[in-house]
Amino acid sequence: MFLALREMRHSKARYSLIMVIMLLVSFLVLFVTGLARGLAYANISALKNMPANYFVVQSDADHTFRRSQLGGTELAAVRAVAGVAKATPLGVQTSTITASGADVKADITFFAVDMTGMLAPEVTEGTGITNEVQGSAVADSKLEQSGVTIGSTIRDQASGMSWTVTGFVKDSSYSHTPVVYINPLDWQAMKQGAVQGGIADSTGSAPYNVIALDVTAAQADQIAGQQQAVEVITQKQAVSSVPGYAAEQNSLLMMIVFLFVIAAVVLAVFFYVITIQKTSQFGILKAMGTKMSYLAWSVVGQVMLLSVASLALGILLTLGMNMGLPDTMPFELDGQTMAMTSLLFIGMSLLGSLISVARVARVDALEAIGRTGA
Amino acid sequence: MSAKLVMKQVTKTYGDGDGAMTVLNNLDLTVNEGEFVAVLGPSGSGKSTFLSAAGALLTPTRGEIFLDGESLRDKGKGELTELRLQKIGFMFQSAQLLPFLKVEEQLLYVAKLAKLSTKDAKVRAAYLLKRLDIWERRHHYPEQLSGGEKQRVAIARAWMNKPAILFADEPTASLDYSRGREVVRMIADEVRSEGKAAVMVTHDERMLEWCDRVLHLEDGVLVEAHS
Repeated sequence: MFLALREMRHSKARYSLIMVIMLLVSFLVLFVTGLARGLAYANISALKNMPANYFVVQSDADHTFRRSQLGGTELAAVRAVAGVAKATPLGVQTSTITASGADVKADITFFAVDMTGMLAPEVTEGTGITNEVQGSAVADSKLEQSGVTIGSTIRDQASGMSWTVTGFVKDSSYSHTPVVYINPLDWQAMKQGAVQGGIADSTGSAPYNVIALDVTAAQADQIAGQQQAVEVITQKQAVSSVPGYAAEQNSLLMMIVFLFVIAAVVLAVFFYVITIQKTSQFGILKAMGTKMSYLAWSVVGQVMLLSVASLALGILLTLGMNMGLPDTMPFELDGQTMAMTSLLFIGMSLLGSLISVARVARVDALEAIGRTGA
Repeated sequence: MSAKLVMKQVTKTYGDGDGAMTVLNNLDLTVNEGEFVAVLGPSGSGKSTFLSAAGALLTPTRGEIFLDGESLRDKGKGELTELRLQKIGFMFQSAQLLPFLKVEEQLLYVAKLAKLSTKDAKVRAAYLLKRLDIWERRHHYPEQLSGGEKQRVAIARAWMNKPAILFADEPTASLDYSRGREVVRMIADEVRSEGKAAVMVTHDERMLEWCDRVLHLEDGVLVEAHS
């Protein structure tokens, strides 16, 4: 590091420029990662925040909640394994609502849940609803931004039913639409058509879509094995099957991957060009008796130092940027993701520096003799 | 008197078959302690090859080389690097100082490679820089030095690790006559005061005043000059 540090001290402008470029690249990587995460969270936060680790879906539903239909028979069988408290049915219905007293027309997703069960929404504003009283709903706070307030009446365009909003919950989206929580009684009323159409289950009530589970992996296997027509999927599988989620995340992932590749190539080329410029110096150093391992560490150490310093600044810049972002721009960067991204960035820089090390290894000490250049 | 450099029947051939070119042809040379030898020859006479072979940078096709009593034969790349560090001081054409190290650091760097303690290295560097009258410039970068000053730093750097022998490759090439003579005189002074040996390769016949022996490289062998 003796050489690496003094070289940077001597050529401050050159190394500052490299640092600026590395800083910008690391910032871009972190920022796009944060945006991708934010978008993912804004998409499916309702699922992510559910205290359920597995979901039972109909086996021909392709893991998609809305395509799945489960009735009382399945619920009873699942509850026999998981216990009543750890398995609760969930009805999912996408629709469009209008609100009284406000010029609002919004796409939303109804979640019909047992208000005493584990999926009951945690109301952050106003009051919750019970299983007994019909005509009340709890909505995601995004609807509040559209003009819906506590006490507003929202009306489902498809069924014509109305609810009074009694409270709001935070971070509850499904497929980018705000979630409106209703109780099972309203769900049954909403699904009267289905019951009359003859697809009611054996008990005569309308079917649910899925059953949320909070069970161990062994129990999940047991449930999956015991019934032919159902499948048990993890929360992760459920999330990636939300319509549009996978496509959205794959595009962003592609961008991030390319950013990493570009970052690695830019850094590698930068250091390679600098290394080529210094070829005669390396010849002299070798002739004087500098070991190759020393030179290799010098090159790698320099890259490490620059990338870690740039990355630190990049993280600060990203966090600063995050604070200045408007709420409508979802941004989410947890420590783990940041650590992973940082490690990957440093790894890529090191990989790039190895090309320079290989170049240095090929420099022959003989080049030092008979040279006239400065 | 012990021999610092012995070259026995050293041959270096480039290429093979009919196109083979013999640059060094059964060359013999012995340089003793306290001796300053100049090797003269026009460009293309094989001076660089001679210096590279003697300086453990190039393995000869045939023959054997001993540095400070140690044979270079059968030594690996790493061992030769270590040997160059410990036994040889190099002075290159145009000084070839590292542009990003200050004068004192040029010396401290080679001491660091030889694992000398920082304290000892500083003492030694100060001693050499003062002797070569460049102490005032110790915090300057090479770009701020004149050609003669750079070569003086190069001399100090070459002697830093107390090598057995110093090899100088055209040390006066980029200097005018009087500064060139000054540099050669300083090399000679160091050889005598440190009890070491030096071999200087040059094409400049005006720089030989301080040398003990002058040899000409002709047709791959060294011939004693008759002056």
